[in-house]
Amino acid sequence: MAEIEFTDTEFMICNAARLLEDNKTIFVGWGIPQVVAILAEKLYTPNIVQVFEFGAIGPLSRTPFLRGTMGGPSNTYRSLQWCSMNLAFSYAQAGYIDYGMLGAAQIDRYGNINSTMIGDDYEKPKVRFPGSGGGNEVASYCWKTIIVMAHEKRRFVERCDFITSPGYMIDGKSRDEVGLPAETGPYRVITSMGMFGFDEKTKELKLIGVMKGLTVDEVLDEMNIEPLVAEKVVELEPPTELELKTLREDIDPYGLIISKGRKIKLDI
Amino acid sequence: MANIEILDMGEADIHFIPPDEFRKFVRDKKNRAFEDKLMDEKEAVKKFVKDGDYLAYDFSSLTRGPQSLIREIIRQRKKNLWILAKFTLLESVLLAGAGCVDKIDVGFLGFGPYIAKKVQEGAVKVYDWSNGSVTYRLVAGAMGIPFIPARDLLGTDTLKHSGAIVVKDPFSGKPVALMPALNPDVSVIHVQEADVYGNARVYGPTVATLETAMASKRVIISAERIVETIEFREHPNWTTIPYYCVDAVVHAPFGAYPGGTQGYYEMDSEHYLKLTSIRTDEEMQKYLEEYIYSVESHDEFLEKKVGVKRLRELIQKSQILEGYR
Repeated sequence: MAEIEFTDTEFMICNAARLLEDNKTIFVGWGIPQVVAILAEKLYTPNIVQVFEFGAIGPLSRTPFLRGTMGGPSNTYRSLQWCSMNLAFSYAQAGYIDYGMLGAAQIDRYGNINSTMIGDDYEKPKVRFPGSGGGNEVASYCWKTIIVMAHEKRRFVERCDFITSPGYMIDGKSRDEVGLPAETGPYRVITSMGMFGFDEKTKELKLIGVMKGLTVDEVLDEMNIEPLVAEKVVELEPPTELELKTLREDIDPYGLIISKGRKIKLDI
Repeated sequence: MANIEILDMGEADIHFIPPDEFRKFVRDKKNRAFEDKLMDEKEAVKKFVKDGDYLAYDFSSLTRGPQSLIREIIRQRKKNLWILAKFTLLESVLLAGAGCVDKIDVGFLGFGPYIAKKVQEGAVKVYDWSNGSVTYRLVAGAMGIPFIPARDLLGTDTLKHSGAIVVKDPFSGKPVALMPALNPDVSVIHVQEADVYGNARVYGPTVATLETAMASKRVIISAERIVETIEFREHPNWTTIPYYCVDAVVHAPFGAYPGGTQGYYEMDSEHYLKLTSIRTDEEMQKYLEEYIYSVESHDEFLEKKVGVKRLRELIQKSQILEGYR
């Protein structure tokens, strides 16, 4: 039996990359989503077209990934088109963008996400984050939104302190009722412990996978809400050797993103 | 005919200029003559940025941001600005740290605990929008229309804290958000190339370069190089901003420093770290004193605070030219 060592961030990135489909477009948010898209492009979906809010359509990924190069030559390399932000968002609003990928500070039962503030007083927030950026547009417009976030108890709440970007039901109203584009919404939530989908009928968060080596209860214990649990919860495979090699040697050799998080050892 | 039904309203104050007022300003105050507008940062900011102005800028402090102009605004200790933090990073942090700013329309507020603390303390007032909605606002401002309908913000707390209004769209019958036009008093934009009249060319993704320029009453361009007008006439497809939108042209090599400019130089990560590690007001004041107040001009800043050796390294790092010439 061999032992494999990885961070839960690497776990999250690999599982998110495995979800994507080739020959589709994806709106990529800042940070972890960028690494996910590069890994997917290298190993699974060579023809995925990445879209960035500042106006880069279909750049070819360059490695190593440099954090903080949002818009510079290395993450707009050999794009199909350079355009404006209003065009980039308009492609999404008009339905051209299949996937969107975002991080979140908080998420609730219906997939609403918070990236604005923590606390109950908007004027005097306990913690203030940068706000929507393009997150609201990604969650509003892309056909399927994937949320990638660290799995911590305090991040799963009944109602976000501030709903920055929409999920399925917002204070009792459906996406359709508030006027959001039809048939859009959060598709998967990948965390550092598992994976969630949304119930087809009730649109509630539903646990559908847990990291190999963890039990369903261990994952549920780390949440302030009780999500639905699928009849059959799948075991999510740890990162493969090839995925880890690609991440560590090629994409993020300085460990700017992948070295963060809990270290995990697993017998395989 | 039925009235358009209002379904929901954000509560933010908005900076709004009715289209006719903006048109008149454009008619009377924007110069269509081919006039040399070349001046330095000091003169441009003195002439066109006033206390209390609504200020917009394009791209970010990482890439092709108008940093030499932002530093000059700080140096001249402009007050009570209301800024558009659209896809912004450290500009809002610096402007808030220098006490130039009262209000921020947030697309993306900017990095780090320093600016977060300013918001928590109530030192700056924020209104939450999103990068898309504020950009659409500029599009409306640039089109000369009072608002633009879009489907962002719907259903969220972001909408409640924005100045958007949700109505029942008379065509589809569904709710849609009306984003009020945004016409900034002044915008500062860094470009790769401009002529003395203000024709300007940007290489790379644009964020909202043309929209910001068209929508703004006053526009200051800083450029890595000043080129002859024939350069634009030879490749008119590449003109990003026509001269009649522009009020001042500043020749500013390394104008985006410590950020990079595509085709010219990369960002200075070490200087960046200095900025992002600012936590306290004391540290902020120390930074402002050392890098902004203690020098007279952008030239002096480059000479005394950055140095030829560092600048040469940043040029050397910038080896991807494809698409940028």
